[in-house]
Amino acid sequence: MSSEPAPLPENSALRSKIRVYAREQRQECRIQAKDSLRLGLGQIKKEVATLEDLGIKDVLGLASRIKRRKHATSEDLYRLALAFLQGNENINAFAAIPGAIQVLVKELSGPHIQRQIDAVECLCNLSLGEAHVSEKIATLAGSYMVTYLDGKEERLKHSCLWTLANILATCNKAAQTLLQMQLVSKLWKLYTTPASEPSGCQEDAGICLFMVATHALEHVNVEERKYLTQHLHEKRLGDPASEYFMYIVHQLEVVRPDHGLGVQQAEGLVNFFGASLLCQDLSSFSDKLSLFYGVRVLGNLAAMGDATLLGVLANPEHFVSVLNRLFALREAQLSKDLMRLLRNFLELNICDSNLVLDRLEIYA
Amino acid sequence: MDPVAATSPILLSKEQLIQILSETPPGFIKPTDPPPLTIPPFKKLGVLVELDDILDAKDAPAKGSGNRTKEQTYSCAQCRRMLPTAHLLDLHITETHDFYFAASVDRGDKPMYSCFLEECSTKFHTARQRKDHCITVHKFPANYRFDQGKDKAKEKRPSKSQTNSMEVDEVVVPAAANKAFPFIKAFSFGHQTHRTFYTKAKEQRCGETLEDVQSMKDAINDILD
Repeated sequence: MSSEPAPLPENSALRSKIRVYAREQRQECRIQAKDSLRLGLGQIKKEVATLEDLGIKDVLGLASRIKRRKHATSEDLYRLALAFLQGNENINAFAAIPGAIQVLVKELSGPHIQRQIDAVECLCNLSLGEAHVSEKIATLAGSYMVTYLDGKEERLKHSCLWTLANILATCNKAAQTLLQMQLVSKLWKLYTTPASEPSGCQEDAGICLFMVATHALEHVNVEERKYLTQHLHEKRLGDPASEYFMYIVHQLEVVRPDHGLGVQQAEGLVNFFGASLLCQDLSSFSDKLSLFYGVRVLGNLAAMGDATLLGVLANPEHFVSVLNRLFALREAQLSKDLMRLLRNFLELNICDSNLVLDRLEIYA
Repeated sequence: MDPVAATSPILLSKEQLIQILSETPPGFIKPTDPPPLTIPPFKKLGVLVELDDILDAKDAPAKGSGNRTKEQTYSCAQCRRMLPTAHLLDLHITETHDFYFAASVDRGDKPMYSCFLEECSTKFHTARQRKDHCITVHKFPANYRFDQGKDKAKEKRPSKSQTNSMEVDEVVVPAAANKAFPFIKAFSFGHQTHRTFYTKAKEQRCGETLEDVQSMKDAINDILD
């Protein structure tokens, strides 16, 4: 007879709890790992050897299948997404079928979260295509993707942001459509979410704003620029994607006299710049981006003609020490912008200009 | 500044500095000015969907998936309608279940319908105006799924339960309701049903909504006049 004692009910309860926690942990790790599973167009053929090769015929078959049925199944959407990753010809073939993208939009706007995620991941891969494809996606699905940015489901939000970034980088007209949906304010809200909150969309929102600032500057309206001005101080240096901050602020011309920049917002900018100055080694692109555009933003802040906006930098001694440190980096373009900053500072007539010029150490 | 000069260890004199400053234009640096850095091209990336995840989602019981949908959406406590954002739920509750809102719309002195976009502060007198605004200004599709206006169209059609209720005989019945007077089923499949008083009629209390809106309107008029 077995002499093994029967397990106590407390122990089995504890074990089942541990099992549940472990399962949840695995799920969370899988979601995190999923973020890294991102590939460029055609890259999948090199990365995954055992890949199912899907061509134009398969895409046409899948498209007619999803059009015929009441719902596109998850497997159909998975295969379509895989086909789009494999080549531009598959994307073009799908985009040319009338009503095919509408099926994806129907699933995207439907009531089931999982189908919404499957559809937006499919659209994300579709957005790897050319400008005319991006334009179609923006027109048909843009409003839903923008709406879901305010939702609760994190994976859906991430996938929407990835798709939006691809579209913004591809087509100016599509970008214009998206920006008419007040996209900038929505992105800014996600971008300035405190790092302590579990959202994790700051990085992706920052990339989207970076894309707007680079490719679609002319389509950002005055209201959105004013919104950014009012909420400038909400971004902190330690937060994710803070390296894009000064670039976005400069490119979107947030520091302008007609945008209602207050002392609080200006102080936030000066503090952000001061903090970024402490940790500069200029070894990486992101460090350079933050510093170079930070100098431009400060130059514009000084051009506003109000010394109070400069905060601690209005102190000539502090200003000179910062300038000496930056001139010592001996970066040609940076020095030009520093000269502009110096010129604007002297125009403010805070102190005797000789006092500043005598102390400056600028290498020829 | 040329690269050779940039590496020389000689400090600029005050006069040289003043000379450079005089050549530097004051004012704002525009985004169109030559960039201080070359921005590397953005690499577009897709997402590699895992088949395991698809199969997991398929195998998961329908109940679990429904719970997930409920958890990740905003649902109306009154009619259980699920909406993706807090703003859209707010609009739904206000426009569908709020008597004050209905009375204010009837009064028509100020625009009450907010835009579907939370960031847009424009308000409209009718749902139709809002829809037009969203289509023309925000480039929304004409069949935007979360349009609250659709519910109104449905509400106009009398439902089966409403037409069966006893109150339709009572007092003022709109002409539209008269046209759709209940169709009484006169056949049975072996289980004859005896016609009797409809007990749920009391619970439904048809017409109460209209009375409440009317009373709300009167109250608003009293306050404002």
